[in-house]
Amino acid sequence: MIAALPERRWIGTLILIALFLAGTWYTATGGFGLQSIVTVTAIFVVLAVSLDLVAGMVGLYSLGHAGLFAIGAYGTTLLARNADLDVFLLLPLVVVAAGLVGAVLGALSLRVSGLYFAITTFIFTIIVYVTLSNSSWTGGLQGLSGPLFPAFPDPIEDVLGRSVVWAVAAVVFIAIGISWSIRSSPFYPVLLAVRDAEPYARAHGVHTSLVKVGMFALSAGMAGMAGWAFSFLVYQSPGQFGWVQSVMILVMVIVGGINTRFGPILGAVLVGVFPFVVKIDPFVQDVVFGLVFVLVIVFFPRGLVGLGHLVMRRMRERRRAASGERPPELAEAEIEAVEVAALDTEPPMRADSDDIALAARGISFSYVPGVPVLRDVDMVVRRGTIHGLIGPNGSGKSTLVNLIAGELRPHRGSIELNGVRVERLGAPARPAHGLRRTFQSAVMVRELSLVENTTVGLYSTVRRIAARSVIWPLLPGARRDGRRMRAAAADALSSVGLESSWHTSAVRDVPHGVEQLTQLAAAIVSEPTVLVLDEPLAGLSGAEMTHVAQILRRLREEGVTVIVIEHQTRFIFDNCDEVTVLAAGELVTSGAAPGVRENARVREVYLG
Amino acid sequence: MLQVLISGLAVGTIYGLVAMAFAVVFYVTKVINFATGQLLMASILIAAGLINGGTPDWLGIAVALASVTVLGVLTYLVAVRPVLRFDRFSFSWLVSTLGVALVIQAVFAIVYGPASVPFPRGWHGIPVRLGFATITVQEIAILATGVLAIAVWELVRRRTLLGKLGMAISTDPEMASAVGANTTAYAIGAFAVGGFLAGLAGILVGPITYGNPYLGDTYGIYGFIALMIGGIQRPTAAMGGGLVLGVLSLAANAYIGSQASDWFPFVLVLLVLLLTPNGVFASGDALRSTLRRRSAFAGAEA
Repeated sequence: MIAALPERRWIGTLILIALFLAGTWYTATGGFGLQSIVTVTAIFVVLAVSLDLVAGMVGLYSLGHAGLFAIGAYGTTLLARNADLDVFLLLPLVVVAAGLVGAVLGALSLRVSGLYFAITTFIFTIIVYVTLSNSSWTGGLQGLSGPLFPAFPDPIEDVLGRSVVWAVAAVVFIAIGISWSIRSSPFYPVLLAVRDAEPYARAHGVHTSLVKVGMFALSAGMAGMAGWAFSFLVYQSPGQFGWVQSVMILVMVIVGGINTRFGPILGAVLVGVFPFVVKIDPFVQDVVFGLVFVLVIVFFPRGLVGLGHLVMRRMRERRRAASGERPPELAEAEIEAVEVAALDTEPPMRADSDDIALAARGISFSYVPGVPVLRDVDMVVRRGTIHGLIGPNGSGKSTLVNLIAGELRPHRGSIELNGVRVERLGAPARPAHGLRRTFQSAVMVRELSLVENTTVGLYSTVRRIAARSVIWPLLPGARRDGRRMRAAAADALSSVGLESSWHTSAVRDVPHGVEQLTQLAAAIVSEPTVLVLDEPLAGLSGAEMTHVAQILRRLREEGVTVIVIEHQTRFIFDNCDEVTVLAAGELVTSGAAPGVRENARVREVYLG
Repeated sequence: MLQVLISGLAVGTIYGLVAMAFAVVFYVTKVINFATGQLLMASILIAAGLINGGTPDWLGIAVALASVTVLGVLTYLVAVRPVLRFDRFSFSWLVSTLGVALVIQAVFAIVYGPASVPFPRGWHGIPVRLGFATITVQEIAILATGVLAIAVWELVRRRTLLGKLGMAISTDPEMASAVGANTTAYAIGAFAVGGFLAGLAGILVGPITYGNPYLGDTYGIYGFIALMIGGIQRPTAAMGGGLVLGVLSLAANAYIGSQASDWFPFVLVLLVLLLTPNGVFASGDALRSTLRRRSAFAGAEA
């Protein structure tokens, strides 16, 4: 996707825009029946696209979109009637209002879980519905007629037709533009990481809760914008904004294909046009809609676009099988050896290096009160060394790593990173102080390529990715940043020995070893000063282990401080300058590797 | 005052039974069956249809309860199981169970028409005077059923192997199935119990409300609110949420204004969701564990 030629993409975009304008013109100058079908369907398109921003990209199933839509529609109508405000002034007003409501809803409900978010937004829609149907100022169940959209001056109207159609078209254009822009920006892999691999995202400096709330606010604002345009089209009554509509919008997204460019648009068109084409008894229509909800979820969980992708993938695989080419899963271990010092050279002991990269002092921690996991542990890591952390199962190694990386906070003790006290900072704040980490078993975004996953590692080093993502392709600086990020990611992948044929494969298609190396590439792409590796050898073959050892040595030559947690004591003593040994939550010893290896207590508790 | 309390408890028990129906299903499968309210409505209309057609009362009620139990199981087989098999952690069942709710409601509206259908008065015509308040025998039966439902649930859960396996599945389905628990059978059982409880609530409330295809929406939403107030994790807490909702909304009607019960439950649930997201009765546990942690720290410091 990202590798597509930019010129070709520009031409494609221009053709789409031309078609879009032609379609709008045709509708605006066309008959009233056509206009009412197209404009109402277009509103559904905006709603579906806005919902896909949260449901597809960050995995939040909002059932509040009908309520947010109502805020836009009723807000416009009521303010235009009672405060006599200009309709163009009302647009930003209702968009911001709906966005703020979304931000508050999101901030309050995301404390608990995704399910809780769905429930809270569901109740929000019901509350809006109840308020609208029981209040006299909204016209109760009867509803209200909306304001008139100012017509074009006569000579323009003769050419362009009805103005409100152009207003709806503009709203659709903005919604699709924002959604597609985010998809083409480096923020997109970050969003999918927030959805599928939250710890991974946090370890690379993404404030995941903030991103979720922000995306929901954006999506809510877009639903408000749909409401604004809707208010000019038809008579509004509460029935158009009930929970059934919320579910319907979600169904549109799923029918078309969740988290795809064209899926939500396709779904909205199919579901939106349905009642116009098939005119049936409203009860029978309810039955049909209900059946559609169930059947779509059961039989097409990936939607029409997903189905298309699946068919194309199958065909490609068949063609590949026919031509005798090996699928990527089997093309294992085509990993280049990395250029570094030979393995048998003695590690250069840097006696002069008194510079401390990381110091954890007096750390105490427990998960359950009264059962301490770490008791008064010290670990001091000198700059430019490879520092091993070993200990039997249950000795507290992983807990110590999570404390250093900020996933946990110590109950007592201090952690100093490059001279700065960080023990009170959360995980997303620590990359800014030069720290990166990997996880025992990599969890990344399976549907994205290695390069895209690796760019997540650059998120905190590039200015305002999130804010710029909504108009990314329009900003030359942003496009430049995007190219630079992809180039840096490709370099990092090559530097861990993954040759370029791997770079565009999706993570779900690559073997475990490649996945682990990708995780490592993402951790080093931002050139951290301190790198924490949690069991980097888990599940690797012998050749791959040697490969990792070489990468670590090269990193040390480049001045990176590396902390390795491992079970393989041979690997640790062969490659580390210094080693810290934990047992049962207490420090056994810490110091230069050869000395630690000879230590009697270490032999007793660990080496046996 | 006493009248509000008694009537509130009676209507609250109905909400509580619906909330329990939600919670039993959630307890085992971690799915919210949004068609639960429609099962309540279905039991009223099936019973009313049969009884008005000349079937004896007891038979009509029995057939209605059996039908909604089956309907509950069907909901699982058609709309939930395939979804969970595709992705155990997705929330797509939100959409499919709401779809089932829509279908059931529309089908009953087509068959019975949108107007109300008479239901036998049962014991609702017999008042009992209690000091300044009046309670009908029907309301006494409702309260007794609520107590019985909770007692049976807790007994089965705590005292029988069936209940203990259920607890195991609720806590960790993968582990439970690894030691040999049949999680599918439990899920079917949970949807059956959920359907039965909703049907029971329908039969009990039928003499008061009569039958109407849109009752499902009303009681489904109130039952769901009761569930959120009480706490989704435990069926007993859900019943408690029903009682709180019933008493407080009648109190709001009596002391704020006669229209207050239209909006009051929603404000109440919003407050609960914002203040104690896990429900009023679940927060007791959270509070207790926080206190325990505090004291443990105090001990460690000393």
